[in-house]
Amino acid sequence: MANTTNNRYEALMLTVPEITADEAKTIEQQFDRLIADKKGSMLSFEKWGKYRLAYPVKKNEYGVYFLARFESQQPELVDEIKNLLDVKLHEVVMRSMLTNLDAEGSLVYQRPQSLEEAPAREVGSFMKEGKMDHDSDNDNGQDL
Amino acid sequence: MTKKIKLKINARLLKKRFRKQGFGGKKHCRFCGNAEQETHLDYKNGTFLKNFLTERGKILPARISGNCSLHQRALARNIRKSRVMALLPYSAGHF
Repeated sequence: MANTTNNRYEALMLTVPEITADEAKTIEQQFDRLIADKKGSMLSFEKWGKYRLAYPVKKNEYGVYFLARFESQQPELVDEIKNLLDVKLHEVVMRSMLTNLDAEGSLVYQRPQSLEEAPAREVGSFMKEGKMDHDSDNDNGQDL
Repeated sequence: MTKKIKLKINARLLKKRFRKQGFGGKKHCRFCGNAEQETHLDYKNGTFLKNFLTERGKILPARISGNCSLHQRALARNIRKSRVMALLPYSAGHF
């Protein structure tokens, strides 16, 4: 127990696409409660947004990602969080991954663009753009 | 005599000689000594890791990407993690 440095952890969760704002809030609250019990602190809780998955998970083509970062001196916290995600939130959280973070490392990270962030386009305009791209390619070829 | 010398030449040595002659230059690891690139090496960064997959979703060998073995291992580890979270495909063909 002489170890006074906080261990930092990171939990990436993949939830069902139909998740409501209330459910997201309860996840955060349950995280908060567990972390407070273990005298830790929450660093961040972010919603990435909706994503198209690389392969269907539980027959869902889409999913919503959440990233939580927290620190604590008591490693038992990790087991409890794992239980929370796998048992209590089993209906909502499809996949989860808990990893260690560097205590001194920066918290900056990159993530793929979510569907909300990607420019929304109608099917018609998409096809038109595709055609235009094709044409412009040809033009370039001629110019060169 | 000439026969013996011919036997010693194999495809690997030919490739090596080809490289040494300076066509394309020596490949080098893009992560070594490049702290900015190393921060991209993360299982959450699916768009970046996608560059190291083949069309069928396999991990690109170091022979082709030119990574050093240390970073190739770290890269493969992160790709495998990323696959669990459905950010990257295990294989192509899920439509």
